[in-house]
Amino acid sequence: MITLESVSYAYPRTGRDAISDITLSLKRGECVLVSGRSGSGKTTLCLAAAGILEHEYGGRKSGSVAVNGKDVGDYRDLSDLSTSVGILFDDPDSQLIFTTVEEEILSALERRGFSPEEVEERLSRVLAVTGLEGLKDRPPHALSGGQKQRVVLATTLALGTDILILDEPTSELDEKGTDSIVSLLKELKAQGKAILLVEQKYPRLAAVVDRYVILEDGKIRTEGTADHVLSDETAKKTLIPDFSGIRGENVTDRGRPPIIRTEGLSFRYGDDEALSGIDLEIAPGEFVAIVGENGSGKTTLIKHFIGLLRPEKGTVRVDGKDAAKAPVAELAHSVGLVFQNPDHMFFADSVFDEVAFGVDNLKIPDRERAVIDALSTVRLEHLRDLYPRWLSRGERQRLAIGCILAMKPPVLILDEPTTGLDGEESREIIELIKRLQGDGHTIIMVTHSREIAEECADRIVRMDAGKIVSDSAAGA
Amino acid sequence: MGEILQYIPGNGLFHRLHPATKILFIIVVSMATILTSSIPLLVAYLLLILLLALSGRLLKPVLQQMLLVGLMSIVLYLVTILTVPRGTVIGYLVPGFVPYIGGSIPVTVEALIVGTVLTLRFAILITAFQLFVISTQPRDLVHTMERARIPADYTLMFIIALRFIPTLQIEGKRIHEAQLARGYHPGEGFIGRIKSVAPVMVPLVSNSIGRATLLGLTIDIRGYRSRTRTRLRERTLGIADRIAIPVMVVMGIAFSYAFFFTHWV
Repeated sequence: MITLESVSYAYPRTGRDAISDITLSLKRGECVLVSGRSGSGKTTLCLAAAGILEHEYGGRKSGSVAVNGKDVGDYRDLSDLSTSVGILFDDPDSQLIFTTVEEEILSALERRGFSPEEVEERLSRVLAVTGLEGLKDRPPHALSGGQKQRVVLATTLALGTDILILDEPTSELDEKGTDSIVSLLKELKAQGKAILLVEQKYPRLAAVVDRYVILEDGKIRTEGTADHVLSDETAKKTLIPDFSGIRGENVTDRGRPPIIRTEGLSFRYGDDEALSGIDLEIAPGEFVAIVGENGSGKTTLIKHFIGLLRPEKGTVRVDGKDAAKAPVAELAHSVGLVFQNPDHMFFADSVFDEVAFGVDNLKIPDRERAVIDALSTVRLEHLRDLYPRWLSRGERQRLAIGCILAMKPPVLILDEPTTGLDGEESREIIELIKRLQGDGHTIIMVTHSREIAEECADRIVRMDAGKIVSDSAAGA
Repeated sequence: MGEILQYIPGNGLFHRLHPATKILFIIVVSMATILTSSIPLLVAYLLLILLLALSGRLLKPVLQQMLLVGLMSIVLYLVTILTVPRGTVIGYLVPGFVPYIGGSIPVTVEALIVGTVLTLRFAILITAFQLFVISTQPRDLVHTMERARIPADYTLMFIIALRFIPTLQIEGKRIHEAQLARGYHPGEGFIGRIKSVAPVMVPLVSNSIGRATLLGLTIDIRGYRSRTRTRLRERTLGIADRIAIPVMVVMGIAFSYAFFFTHWV
């Protein structure tokens, strides 16, 4: 239903091909998964297949893309193409325009020439299959990242196109949410839809995918069935994060008093109880994974460790300081928090200046040394003069860690550090984190991924509805 | 978090009115407000609008905006005091006992009157506009504007501007937190404050610009700019509209007549 014939493309003002010589076809009832490192051309491939490059982008193009046997250039415009191809981009916020979930879906449906009855019918069906009935009157900004992704998916599905191009539709969903999308995709495939999927969660998606395409530097490295693709060692590392041998020795120092201790910690947002009665002790040098579903209170908890949130009840002590009262700038000497989205912090003109920001704020002695050391630990010294936003997603994630590391906090907290990264990049991040643990840092990592938690951390703390429901040594 | 200018689902008087009626309402209110400088009349208008808000069960969100009106009024009074220095002087902004510059910047009755008029006008316009925005779904607005043959682009620009206010608020808060965690502290003094804006504003603006491309693509792909449309869940003129429209037309004519041919207002 989509065929790409030796397609190459370079964005305007860049000399390098973002994708080059891609030949690929997508058949009815088939689901193809595209994977690869960040910056390998996955999103560009989606834009090419949907005809968006042809209609909306300048730059250097060659090769041909056909949708349902017709060259994309022969379609009148994107709106015309969109009756055949549904595309979902990776940032849900930029695809939500109206004020309620229902209005969002309805506004797209009423532009398709369906009868009023059919519009109503499609609306209620899509709300049901995506589990959004209970949220239909909610405004988009009041939804969680995962819920927003479901609304955008629902809007794309409602239009009923036979071809679906989905760029990371589950990146912000937890395991349960991802599984429900997988079963929905299975159903769509059975209806004869052709699905082009960009996603990183191979093991969870294996049940629905027919064919794999692994990209490397804009070219197809290998493609085919799971067996075929997995026989290529590099492709295998991309698809399946391999954390074997990463754990090493548990260096936790139980002899010393805990570096973080909470007692009866409770917190609420308005009327919603977000944390209730959390008692937790973390020893110096320990690697703790905090796991749980979306909305279980993981991020709320870690924000208390650096004073971004203050407990309503109970106490938090961090590195001998009272985290309920101490200013954030003072706690930042003890705790470094790396947020999930690195783009929320970059503002400087160069990688070096970006890292120096925190160093200057905390007045760390020997500024130059501190920055260079941090950059070499995260392996970005060679990029020190580049503009941070030009780096790939994986590099930006490492830079975010470097920025915090340079401030020399004994405790490092990382919120979902592997989001949007392929297997190999995830392994690199985890290796980096393990090295930091080896250097004496206490590590706290928030993650949806059970694999990472079980294979890398010393201890797993599971949260549910604002409480700790289990706390045990990993691998036990 | 306080939400600025966001649609609030409901079924009060304003929610049931047709968007066209509400647009007419804003036009008539703006006219009436700008054409008069009588303080009692302006106070009466403001009370009337608040009464309408109360009957539409929207008084609380409307009153939340009064803080903005209060802040703005300080600016308005300052500007008028500085620009209307002649008239009956009742005091000085810089008290007489201050050496050298004491007794400068006179405050006149005329300036205070102009300041009050401007503040009242501002309050009325803000309140009326807010009533319109929080009770109208963008989708209905798009439909109404389409019927008036106003290109969809203008309507979309307007609703996207409103829609992204809370998103930017939330994102701004996240960025602020991320920078606090890096030991960021807002600078001191005027220059310090200006400088300290960069770590929050640069990521906020860069992320928004990145988002604009996808937003534009989404609008094209969903066909929001196309003229074909399935007519369903249409807004029709109800009883309230049929009463409100003639009343407002008559009022609009009356105000114009009063302004141009009499000296009542």
